[in-house]
Amino acid sequence: MNCQRVREILPELIDESRHGPAGGDAAEARAHIAACPACEREFAALARTAAALDAMTTPPPSPRLRKNFYTMLAEEKLIAAAPAPARAAPAAAPARPAWWRAFLAPLAACALLAIGFLAGRQPSPGSRADDTAMRTELQQLREQVNKMGTLVSYSLLQQQQGPANDRLRGVLAAARAESPNDKTLDDLVSALAFDPSANVRLRALEALAPHAGRELVRSGVLAALPREQNPLVQLELIDFVAATEDPAAAPALERLSLDQATDRSVRDAAQRALARF
Amino acid sequence: MVDRAVDPLTVDTAPAQRSDHALMLAVRDGELDALGELFERHQGPLFGFLCKLTGDRPTAEDIAQTVFQRMLKYRHTYRDEGSFTAWMYHLARRCAADHFRRSQSAPHAADPADLNEHIDEAPHAAHHAATRDDHALLHAALARLDHGDREVLLLSRFQELSFAEISGILECSVGAAKVRAHRALRTLRDIYLKLQNRPAS
Repeated sequence: MNCQRVREILPELIDESRHGPAGGDAAEARAHIAACPACEREFAALARTAAALDAMTTPPPSPRLRKNFYTMLAEEKLIAAAPAPARAAPAAAPARPAWWRAFLAPLAACALLAIGFLAGRQPSPGSRADDTAMRTELQQLREQVNKMGTLVSYSLLQQQQGPANDRLRGVLAAARAESPNDKTLDDLVSALAFDPSANVRLRALEALAPHAGRELVRSGVLAALPREQNPLVQLELIDFVAATEDPAAAPALERLSLDQATDRSVRDAAQRALARF
Repeated sequence: MVDRAVDPLTVDTAPAQRSDHALMLAVRDGELDALGELFERHQGPLFGFLCKLTGDRPTAEDIAQTVFQRMLKYRHTYRDEGSFTAWMYHLARRCAADHFRRSQSAPHAADPADLNEHIDEAPHAAHHAATRDDHALLHAALARLDHGDREVLLLSRFQELSFAEISGILECSVGAAKVRAHRALRTLRDIYLKLQNRPAS
């Protein structure tokens, strides 16, 4: 066996303890190393490098990794436990979950009581001013009750600095609203554009999907597209704008499809979406 | 002193520890808490791999976080006959590649002087200094390796993976994985020796 052949199998000899016995030439190579000072030096240098490499240690990660992991796990469990997302909801009005009904029932009862009380009041005969005031008051009460249903989701959505779980709950609550008003949609768009959690952003986009026909939603999603860095969210955003077939999205898609820093799958998706326009 | 003699009938009645594979199958089937156990078992080695691969601790932590995120997202794709560790490093490679693509820069060769921060505490000062210098040089040598060479070297020497598993992760034959690992070790040796013989500045 010559020196060249021996040097080819030196790493295998060094790896014996780790990956099992070297091949059939190992015994012959060892005999050669014992007799050849040059190959012996070569073997020793390689063994020293491997030993130094094996002795390299890395200190443990910072507590941030564990904290972020368990936050992410809690978010995922929350999502897994939640009812089907808004995107899966059929066009027909979906059945309202039991807890939501339980929440609204006392509010509705209060409203009915108030309406009954006001309606039961005896206005002065012929007093049109009193009648008008009563109607105005009734209308205000109705509006107040209608607004209360969305207040909870407002406050949860607006807590950008709060725990991700709370923000996610806010998004999920907003997603269940059958006819969210501009304020709710605006909060969802804000969550999509600014929330630090990718899961929250994804759920916000899902909650916005049924309302893609609204100008507020389309322009909000379009504004969020160039800001987004997470490829998973980018893909969902592209699906969204492709579905709306909004020509205003073309420049943003074109930029994405040409940006070499963007994930390959995102660039491909942007190109496919452009082809649909 | 408390008598520690134990009735043989009561020994080890706790349920046996589940394997990584069994835990990941449980995650796939909806038991998401099982991923916590996998995280506790693997976060250290995974972080070590990514830290040596990227040469940057915060980046390694970010990528490790993304790996566990993808485990959850793609849990349904985990196969019955799979090896969890191989799957995890497969995801880790992809996440690291995505990161480098986004930042448009593979890790740069590091100056040994910049690498003295996170070294093991050694009890004797002189030995510690020598070890520290050696570690710094090795870090620098590792950083100067080609990305693919560094990857295969780290997988073959630190992660207790067989070449069959490594070949699966790298999507090549077992023979090719071996050749690449051995070539990488030789290249590292050359760079390491060159740095050791370089006159101190």
